[in-house]
Amino acid sequence: MNSRFDRRQFVNLSTGGALSSANSSTEKASNQDKSTGKTLRLGFIGIGGRGSYHLNCALGIEGVEVPAICELKPVRLHQAKRWVEEAGLPTPKMYNRGPKDFLRLCEEEDLDAVICCTPWEYHAQVCIAAMKNNKHAVSEVPICITLEEAWEIVETHEKTARWATIGLEGLGDQTLLNMVRKGLFGKIVHAETGYIHDLRMVKFTPDEEPWRLQHSLDRNGNLYPDHPMSRMLPILDINRGDRFDYIQSMSTSSVMLRNYAALNYGENTLYAKTKYSLGDYNASLVRTVNGKMMTIIHDTSTPHPREDFRLQGTKGIYHSDGRRIYIEGRSPEEHTWEPADKYYKEYEVPRQVVPPRRGGTIEGHGGGGTQTPVTWHRLVTALRENKVTDWDVYDSVTSGAIVPLSCNSVASKSQAVDFPDFTKGKWKTRTPIMPLV
Amino acid sequence: MKKSKYTRRKFVKLSTTATVGGAAVLSGIGFPAEASVKTQTNNRTLRLGFVGIGGRGTYHLNCALGIEGIEVPAICEIIPKRLQQAKQRIVDAGLPTPRMYGRGVTDFKRLCDSEELDAIICSTSWEWHTPVCLAAMNTDKNCVSEVPIVLTLEEAWQIVETYERTGKWATLGLEGIGELALLNMIQKGMLGDIVHAETGYIHDLRFVKYSPDEEPWRLQHSIDRNGNLYPDHPMKKMLPALDINHGDRIDYLVSMSSFGGLLAEYAGIYYKNPDHRMTRQKFALGNYNASLIRTINGKMITLIHDTSTPHPRENYRIQGTKGIYQGDATSKKIYIEGLSPQEHQWEPADPYLKEYEHPVIKNYNPPPRRGGKIEGHGGGGTQTPMIWHRLVSALRENRLPDWDVYDSVTSSAISPITEASVADRGKPVDFPDFTKGKWKNNPKITLI
Repeated sequence: MNSRFDRRQFVNLSTGGALSSANSSTEKASNQDKSTGKTLRLGFIGIGGRGSYHLNCALGIEGVEVPAICELKPVRLHQAKRWVEEAGLPTPKMYNRGPKDFLRLCEEEDLDAVICCTPWEYHAQVCIAAMKNNKHAVSEVPICITLEEAWEIVETHEKTARWATIGLEGLGDQTLLNMVRKGLFGKIVHAETGYIHDLRMVKFTPDEEPWRLQHSLDRNGNLYPDHPMSRMLPILDINRGDRFDYIQSMSTSSVMLRNYAALNYGENTLYAKTKYSLGDYNASLVRTVNGKMMTIIHDTSTPHPREDFRLQGTKGIYHSDGRRIYIEGRSPEEHTWEPADKYYKEYEVPRQVVPPRRGGTIEGHGGGGTQTPVTWHRLVTALRENKVTDWDVYDSVTSGAIVPLSCNSVASKSQAVDFPDFTKGKWKTRTPIMPLV
Repeated sequence: MKKSKYTRRKFVKLSTTATVGGAAVLSGIGFPAEASVKTQTNNRTLRLGFVGIGGRGTYHLNCALGIEGIEVPAICEIIPKRLQQAKQRIVDAGLPTPRMYGRGVTDFKRLCDSEELDAIICSTSWEWHTPVCLAAMNTDKNCVSEVPIVLTLEEAWQIVETYERTGKWATLGLEGIGELALLNMIQKGMLGDIVHAETGYIHDLRFVKYSPDEEPWRLQHSIDRNGNLYPDHPMKKMLPALDINHGDRIDYLVSMSSFGGLLAEYAGIYYKNPDHRMTRQKFALGNYNASLIRTINGKMITLIHDTSTPHPRENYRIQGTKGIYQGDATSKKIYIEGLSPQEHQWEPADPYLKEYEHPVIKNYNPPPRRGGKIEGHGGGGTQTPMIWHRLVSALRENRLPDWDVYDSVTSSAISPITEASVADRGKPVDFPDFTKGKWKNNPKITLI
């Protein structure tokens, strides 16, 4: 272990001086091609609901070690320690000296990557600390909440050749992506998608994400773009042949959270007397430099079933509500939906085969299954093969940047706000994401 | 008899203008004298003039000719064949031969100047809607226009000012106001306070825009303009549901269009010639346009316009503080918090729509239509459409039709405002208050 640490330090030092970051990756890749299946050392920072889930996923994979864990709450920290021990792994080193103790972890530990599931406001800091200390970072969404953070992540990545991504987010429906790539819909014209999930109870439940409510007090815009973006970023070729040009965002007035608080906690509580910034419904229009459009919605406060999405191309359209499709010249009835099933069969991208999971049911937020999720399998493979995850750094900050950009637009009467080009021109030559096989 | 009616009306108008002044006229219901005269004559003969008798005009003329007590003394159309056809229809309906106005595109002015009519039905190409409405109001006639009633903000203000000056109205009086059962549910508070509504005009018109038999003038708008070119059909649902001009009003909007070009591509298919000159035509209109509209009270509308991509027709989604409705041609779903059986799960909306059927529909018992099937664009039925009955009642009872003047221009003014926003990189554009403050106290739109 020590010799591996030394070699990595050496590579990093030597490349940092003489070689470009791209070269240093190549060198490391050749070093590690032989060691597919090598032991990975992961540190976990933030082990609440979602962190527990990710830790459980990791502990079910052969060859993953967890030498260090970091969590504010002692109960959760010790629970995590017990999980690691019960998996037959060495007792992890525990970090719990306050909300900045992840810095000490990053400085002291020799790890391949940290998995960050803290409250939102620490994601970027953890990512930057990890990269600066020679570790990759996989963050829960959103990876950043300000544009400054987005740029700092990009610059730290380019300086250190370590990456920070939302690598466990997945890339949506691969069969649908395959249909897009094969041209079934023609050129994509417009996508409508969103995060439409009634979170009123979650936001007020201390066991869930007690820090989350504060964002609804302070900010008005699209606070959670990454889940819908996981589908749309690859489909729209964002950062890969196209890029976001500008965004405009609009919110309704805010009544739902206050009313919910008044109903459930009483009119005289602080919850009910507080002024909430977040509009009940927010929609943003985003235009790409190639003229494609996306409508992206954020509504976590009104009563509704979950979202659906709609993808319109020059030759046809897909609607997830009822999984319907219409392809000009191919659908049997003109301008009439048909079930998408037969297209799903024809364009099917088989589900990736994942090695069996060690241990029982996965616990935590997102758990319940007994099979390692594909995203975790792909992350581990990427780390072992020294590749970047499916979401790279630019894609991750692009998705996260929708939050501050939409807030800026809402604050200025829906004015168009320019989208930064985090790739600095590389979007022109980067190749589209192909279906994952 | 006609002569005396004409004289009496002139007299009433002169006397109200002289004695109570502009204020009574401004209120929009300021015709007590005339109204009381009319209530006694609910089945009185109405005299309608038709201006523009293409596909849609033919439909409206057919509807009118099926209603007892309607006369059509004057018709105006630039294509001689259509003018003759219209005349024939009127004669076939057993009515006196109408005077025909066919001397070019502005001959409607001569019609307005020469004829004594209760109202004009205007189904010309878009750019003539406002000139026809203004000519009608200025010659003592009401005017019902096809959509859009205006293409520019200047036109919108001219219509408002002419209405307020003359006491004659011009509206989209045959547009209807969408699914009445749903509106009834909304107005009864089933969805709580409305938060957001989304719908649009999503209708693949590539064929229509090229077809010379349909609306040959329509393609030009796609060459010249980029924005939401056809807001009125979706707005008829949202305007009453969101109380626009009736307790709330549109504050501003932003609009965005995608790349265009599908219309040029389609020319190759339409003309079966991939090198047809129209395939090289530059079209201003983006293939997809979306606008975000915000009201003073903080409600939102997402309004879509897409007439170029291949798709089934649009759907309608309306979210309130207590629940949500989502419907399209094949499925209507609803979720109401605390009422729907499963938390956060759709249930079919049909039982609700049945239970909340609007009284206007329940009590609707129309006299049978005179004559056979209705022809023209929108036709096919053998029953007079309810909106035509409602228009005729409004005219006979001297009321405004379901759409009033302010609502009509508000709906159509969305087009020029979206164009201004699209042209300026989505700049927010303020929406004029055509009601000049009356929106605050105007009661909700309710149908009687």
